[in-house]
Amino acid sequence: MSVDPVSMLSFVRFLFAFTIGSHILLVSTSIALILLISITEFLAIRKHDPVYDALGRKLSKVFVISFGVGTASGIVMAVELVGLFPSFMTLVASTGAMALLYAEVSAFFVEVLALVLYVYYWNSFRGRYSHWAVSLFILIGTLASAVFITMVNAWMNTPTGFDASAFISSGFKTVTGVEPFAAFLTASTAAQVFHVLVTTLFAGTMVIGAYFAYWFVRSGDAGEKAMYSRALKILGAMAIVTIVLSGISGSEEMGNLLVNQPLKYAALDGNAVPGTNLPDRFFGSVVNGTYVGGFSVPGMQTLLAKFETGVTILPGLSQFPANTWPPLFINTTFNIMTVGGLALGLFLLVFFISFVRKRRPYESRRLLYIWVPAAILAMLVYQLGWATDEMGRQPWIVYNVMTVAQAANTSGALLIPGIVIVLFYMAVIPTTFYFYSRIFQGSKKEAPG
Amino acid sequence: MNGIFEVNYAAFSVFAALLITEIMGAVGLLIAWPSRSKVLDYIVPVWEVTGTFGALWVVTGDFAYPALLVPVSSIFTPLLIVFLILWVARGASISFAEFITKRRWLDEEGLFKSYAASTIVLGLVVLVLLSALVGGQGVDLTTGSFSIISWATAGSVVFIIGALLVTVGLAPVFFDLSALRNLAIPLTGLGVVLSVLSYLLMSPGLLTPWMAAPVLLTLAVGALYTWRRTSRIVTNKAAFLAVLSVIIFSLQPLVYPKAVGQVLSIDAVTTTGTMADAFFSITVVGGLLLALMLSLYIVVATRGPNGPDL
Repeated sequence: MSVDPVSMLSFVRFLFAFTIGSHILLVSTSIALILLISITEFLAIRKHDPVYDALGRKLSKVFVISFGVGTASGIVMAVELVGLFPSFMTLVASTGAMALLYAEVSAFFVEVLALVLYVYYWNSFRGRYSHWAVSLFILIGTLASAVFITMVNAWMNTPTGFDASAFISSGFKTVTGVEPFAAFLTASTAAQVFHVLVTTLFAGTMVIGAYFAYWFVRSGDAGEKAMYSRALKILGAMAIVTIVLSGISGSEEMGNLLVNQPLKYAALDGNAVPGTNLPDRFFGSVVNGTYVGGFSVPGMQTLLAKFETGVTILPGLSQFPANTWPPLFINTTFNIMTVGGLALGLFLLVFFISFVRKRRPYESRRLLYIWVPAAILAMLVYQLGWATDEMGRQPWIVYNVMTVAQAANTSGALLIPGIVIVLFYMAVIPTTFYFYSRIFQGSKKEAPG
Repeated sequence: MNGIFEVNYAAFSVFAALLITEIMGAVGLLIAWPSRSKVLDYIVPVWEVTGTFGALWVVTGDFAYPALLVPVSSIFTPLLIVFLILWVARGASISFAEFITKRRWLDEEGLFKSYAASTIVLGLVVLVLLSALVGGQGVDLTTGSFSIISWATAGSVVFIIGALLVTVGLAPVFFDLSALRNLAIPLTGLGVVLSVLSYLLMSPGLLTPWMAAPVLLTLAVGALYTWRRTSRIVTNKAAFLAVLSVIIFSLQPLVYPKAVGQVLSIDAVTTTGTMADAFFSITVVGGLLLALMLSLYIVVATRGPNGPDL
């Protein structure tokens, strides 16, 4: 099929963004779910509480679906990457990024074997604490998988462990000077992994919480309400902890960008020119070398940067060739993230205060009504976070080494399969969430209590 | 000997053994739904492990042969897309089926049968892919394309029929279906004969003396099941899976040292240097973790009264 390569490049970008955006929905809920399951079972044992016990068993069944569809979707993405970005994947396969993917599969084995034991051999353990300990193996496996994948992304942002100049000068043909394990700890790995883990947990926590909030408000059954209330109690605590950590790690991540990806930093903060004592700018845009519109908080950007890194002279777009600038609207997506994150923080602050004052916020209809739109905002902020990170690296797929255009397969033959994949995901994701609910509401095998 | 190839092929052998046993069960679900419990006791906990070994095979393959990554994916794009859709459909339908309660048309039976159909078709897709990798039929390495019409030669078709007959012949062994005991040897034997014939048709060079090992092992499994005294050995699921993995592992002369119709030298495309060292290091660490988890699994699973809680 003959399709304009420029249009195909846009399609390839859209296709992968759509797929990973859909996949992230599954991943974030999965990660939060397994932490919730582990805490729930621990409390069930400690408090001898049959409601927690029943909750844990139901959630473990939901996790099986989440795992089944999530892993299948992960494999789709892995194969899709090869088809859409062949030159990129050839580089990955020749460097330490591949070692990270192999390490991820090892983590995956820990997760899957522990999951099989946890769910299908629940009654074969001699003590409840031994069974609960297996949930920790699932949690470790799940988190380690997420960590290794995030490390690959960190490597794309700050590539290391091979001779980049020689690779570029060979026309992307020869990879030399390979140090595979250097990819495990690039300049941006620690900050990015920390930020991605806590924000993923936060977004997943909020989404699962929205489900329980909705059903708590809607249900008239005291038994059901008791179960939803317990789930919300744990999820409320998880959300409060992870929003605080998201703020701290977000600040770390900005410091990391300032040092390692100054162009991305300048675009995110709308710095047309470098300078000192720069303001934090919101909802305007850079036009002809000047930031116009929106509003700003004087001196705030420099203050935060100094606090995070000690750096006082901040980078500006004018220091870099215009053809290497990312799309400047990432300033807006970044602002939505920041303001959205603050709004979520405020909501959870109210939740926390109510909790401290023993007002049982997890049973407050008013707060639970707010939780549902807050969860939508949390997922939006989370997705925008990824979008901002990826668009902020444009035009590069591997920073300062290979552009997306150089990496992409722009063959028209991808169009029809690509549309099939989009349609497939449009069916799979809502169906999966529908089944989460169906299985939670009506598991065939209820807890013995 | 190419250690990296051996690791990648070992991962494939376990994956293929698990997938074959799932296909055996899937056929049972489709044609004998009322006696499903024997099949589900096995499939329900295992399908997730099959997927993980599949991922291990793919990732170790990407790691082992970086230069093949792009050519293989572009040659087999249509097959891979069908594979991926079936893969998600399979995972989704079985995980939904495990815990679903009946509502209108959607119930456990429909979802398990959807899983079974997806798995069987998936198995056929994998067989098409493997026959192309072995014999090279339909594959044009110069243009980087695959033609299903050119693939459909006598060698490829007999390869698939042979593999299916072996699968059907061994199914009564794996699920201990004593009523079908007498079918094990005839079907397995015919499958082995057709498989050998397919290798001859694809490329006579594929038939080396070493190929006697998988042939004899396969026939031995069928024969051991025929006699009641020895049937207990092969109906043990772990033992059967181990033997099946060894049989598949011993089929490696079909693709090593040369694959795709004995044109592509595996050694020439295998990663070397520091990447090879990293491959082995991670294999050792990952292997230890896998061994640890499998030991835990065996301890817990053998302690359970009646297998998994379903």
